[in-house]
Amino acid sequence: MRIATITFQTNATSQMNNLQADLAKTQNDLATGTRLHSAADDPAAMSQVNTLNVQMSASTQYVTNGNYATSTLQLEEQAMSDATNTLQSARDLAVEANNPALSASQRADIAAQLQQQLQDLISIGNRVDGSGNQIFAGTASNTVPFSQNGTTVNYLGATQTSQIQIGPNQRISSGDTGASVFMNIPAGNGTFTTSGAATNTGTGSIGVGTVSNTAAWVPDTYTIAFTSPTDYTVTNSTGTVVSTVTNFKDGDSISFNGVQIPMTGTPAAGDTFTVAKAGNASAFSTLQSIITTLSDPTLSNAQISSQIGGALQQIDNAISNMSNVSASVGARLNSITSSQGAAQALQTNLTTAVSQLSDTDYAAAITKLNTEEVSLQAAQQSYASISQLSLFKFLQ
Amino acid sequence: MSDLFSSSVSGLLAFQRALDVTSNNISNVATPGYTKENANFTERPGQAYSSGYIGSGTDIQSVTRSYDELLAGQVRSSQSSFSNFDTYATQAANIDNMLSDPKTGLTVSLQNFINAYQTVANSPSTTAQRQALLSQATAISQQMQNYNTQLQTYAGGIEQGISSAITQINTLTDGIAKLNQQIASGLASTGQTPNQLMDQRDQMLDQLSQYVSVSTATQADGSMNVYVGTGQPLVIGATSQQLQATPNQYDASENQVSIVGGGGLTTDITSTITGGQLGGLLSVRSQVLRPAENTLGQFSVGLATLVNQAQGAGLDLTGTAGKPMFSVGGVLSSSSRSNTGTASVATTRTNLGSLTSDDYILRQTSAGTWTLTDEMTNQPVTMTGTGTAADPFMAAGLSMVVSGTASVGDSYEIRPTAGASAGMNVLLTSPAQIAVASSIQTTGVGANTGTGVVKSSVVSDPSVWVPGVYTISFTSANAYQVKDASNNVVGTGNYTSGTPITFNGASVTLTGSPATGDTFTVGAAGASNTGDNSNAFALIDSLNAAKMNGGTTSLSSVANNLVSQIGVQTQQAQSNASAQKAVNASATDSRNNLSGVNLDEEAAKMVQYQQAYSACAQLIQASNTMFNTLISAIKG
Repeated sequence: MRIATITFQTNATSQMNNLQADLAKTQNDLATGTRLHSAADDPAAMSQVNTLNVQMSASTQYVTNGNYATSTLQLEEQAMSDATNTLQSARDLAVEANNPALSASQRADIAAQLQQQLQDLISIGNRVDGSGNQIFAGTASNTVPFSQNGTTVNYLGATQTSQIQIGPNQRISSGDTGASVFMNIPAGNGTFTTSGAATNTGTGSIGVGTVSNTAAWVPDTYTIAFTSPTDYTVTNSTGTVVSTVTNFKDGDSISFNGVQIPMTGTPAAGDTFTVAKAGNASAFSTLQSIITTLSDPTLSNAQISSQIGGALQQIDNAISNMSNVSASVGARLNSITSSQGAAQALQTNLTTAVSQLSDTDYAAAITKLNTEEVSLQAAQQSYASISQLSLFKFLQ
Repeated sequence: MSDLFSSSVSGLLAFQRALDVTSNNISNVATPGYTKENANFTERPGQAYSSGYIGSGTDIQSVTRSYDELLAGQVRSSQSSFSNFDTYATQAANIDNMLSDPKTGLTVSLQNFINAYQTVANSPSTTAQRQALLSQATAISQQMQNYNTQLQTYAGGIEQGISSAITQINTLTDGIAKLNQQIASGLASTGQTPNQLMDQRDQMLDQLSQYVSVSTATQADGSMNVYVGTGQPLVIGATSQQLQATPNQYDASENQVSIVGGGGLTTDITSTITGGQLGGLLSVRSQVLRPAENTLGQFSVGLATLVNQAQGAGLDLTGTAGKPMFSVGGVLSSSSRSNTGTASVATTRTNLGSLTSDDYILRQTSAGTWTLTDEMTNQPVTMTGTGTAADPFMAAGLSMVVSGTASVGDSYEIRPTAGASAGMNVLLTSPAQIAVASSIQTTGVGANTGTGVVKSSVVSDPSVWVPGVYTISFTSANAYQVKDASNNVVGTGNYTSGTPITFNGASVTLTGSPATGDTFTVGAAGASNTGDNSNAFALIDSLNAAKMNGGTTSLSSVANNLVSQIGVQTQQAQSNASAQKAVNASATDSRNNLSGVNLDEEAAKMVQYQQAYSACAQLIQASNTMFNTLISAIKG
């Protein structure tokens, strides 16, 4: 087979060029630490790296969001704890006031202290967070939620809360509305409320009552009318008599339709008591009702005792409601912590995956570099020796 | 004696010629394209003597090249293939590098934009975070503008390459035509092959192959005809036809390749050009550059549309409906320069999910009949409508209105997304204008007896949202019905606490247990909800959802798929180029092994001819001696 002189030359040069190019690429991979300089180096790997980087960026953002939510929720928790303490103090004051031996002016003093507790509670409800947003106004974050108009405290905030995204498919409420914390508290025992008419003249004091048989209870407004200190009838809102008792005495419970209501003292003829379906009562209106009662010198001890008894149940309801909301806030804080922990683990995995796809494998690259160096040297040396061979040399 | 003398002289002359040929070969050992020449000895005719026929020496009959047309053709075709892929790979690599950075690529920018929305959602009334979001919006729109500028630069470079390749081709075909004439006349007048001219012509053909794929046909008179494409002649004998860069009928900045025939008539042969730099540039323009422009435009349109729709479905910090955040360039509708009618086509985008990354041709094929063709696949696309403003043509997410009078055969090129990135700008000027709050709110009617509570209400799909007042009523504790203001039922379903109730693009989530007869009113939100961030989440969800390409691809995937597609095209072109380089090297070796000079071979021949020359000279000396002997013998 015939070989042209030029073939030998061009082949040797182009082989050395190719080897040098390979060497340069390997050296570049080693110097930069990455083997993915552009998508053409490995399109599938580059696509995966892009997707993983996006996941990593989103995960970092979720951690940031979680930190923000944590600080807001912790402020809310603190506020509810302070509110619970205020309600507890108010409860103690109410118990103190439920003493027939107190004079009207002593009761008025206690009313003044309770007024202070009420104002404290309102200002806790109107607290702001670190960015100046209202904690308890829901999405109306620039609206002061609680406003007192005379003796009524109204809720002016929103009915919905904002959400914060703490994980890829996880959004949690970043707060609770003032309505759910302070306003929508079940009145009475949660099922019904009891009250005595203001015109009652006897010493009968109606208690809060319990539901002894849920199946038998028919939600309605009932009137307990005493025709004498020992006789009373219970009628419902349509006038139907549901119970008649003729041997009532002090300490007996009034029972009808699955409920049991204790009654202390001796009612007079003509006294009436109402059993109504429980609605909602706000913590503020509960405190206000005690203040109003204690400030009214015309009420009898029995009426005062009855009202305060009911209010104490309401305060307990409020405290229990607040503790429920607190528990839900605690649960949310826990889920932020656990999703941040998961994010940490995810980010570690993603970093490893990206590194495996795009980083240079140093061991393999250095081996490749050595092999290519040896090949290039061999090409250069062999060219040097073979290019010396020529017949002309021997024809001198 | 005279025979001895004349035959030795003939040998002397012959070997002298042969040595000339050898020295020429040796001098040209490194000349590219040189074909080894051989001196062909022939025996002179013998003369009849009584003692037999005696030959009368030798002549160099001809000097011919060691040349094989097949091997030369293989070198040229592999050269064309290599140049084709090499040019394609270089241009594609430009675009690949532009898009590929994993730290600053489009997918990262989009995620940064989404992250900025998340940060605003954390505290919607904080100005600093809204400002940061506006900055991200500006950054991403500037990035799209930059990509567009870069692509236009590459496009300009490609057009430049096309016209300079055409210029080079014309220079070479002119040269080949001239050589054809010289070779033909040389062959005709002397009967010998003009080897040097033929080497020159082969060189020119090799160079021509770098620019475009050609086929050749040798003629009887020694000239070589050259054809391009599917048989268009570039050189016939001594005449050459010029190629010309003609402007594309729809876009004057784009070059088409035409051949100039008799009378200056140009014929567009762009679709038949393959191989060489020219073929590579034309392919990369249609397969890589234009699809990249279109897909980047599709991304811009997608981002702008989704964000602007969400703005319109939300309230900003002042409690007013959000205004569009982004502007993008419109649809490019161009009339063909060969249109004879007066019509123009105005096109708008109507449906994001139906937009594609293809270009279209709208043509009036016969009076009153219009067809829409996909420019890349040449497949027809179904269109509805009649093209008037009241009933536009609808297809591929576009609405096209023809105004004026079009003649039969008039055509228009429609590029739905290519112009979008250049015009991507942020329109909002103040951070308060970002509409993060929902524009709808749901409230329970006071008479409700159940425990149903509204958790959120937001416009989740602005593209189908019908603004108005709606009523959700519970027909039982587990079933609801949604009616609009005219009492039409727009949605029904079974109720599960916490599962969204969707209708007409709105999404309302209730928790708790509504009672039979409970109703909830969905109406416009009040301005007081500055802390509401549900519209931001609705936008984040739609940016992450598959809203593109018929509901199959998310925005991020559009960007990511573009990067890997360009990567694959570049990688394939690069590996094809190196494969063809090897093929070309092997073909060149085969040709050189036949046609190249081997110094050792020439050295050996040189020795052979030298010795023969000396021997002939000796013979002349001997003949001279014999003659002198004869003369002195006669003289006495």
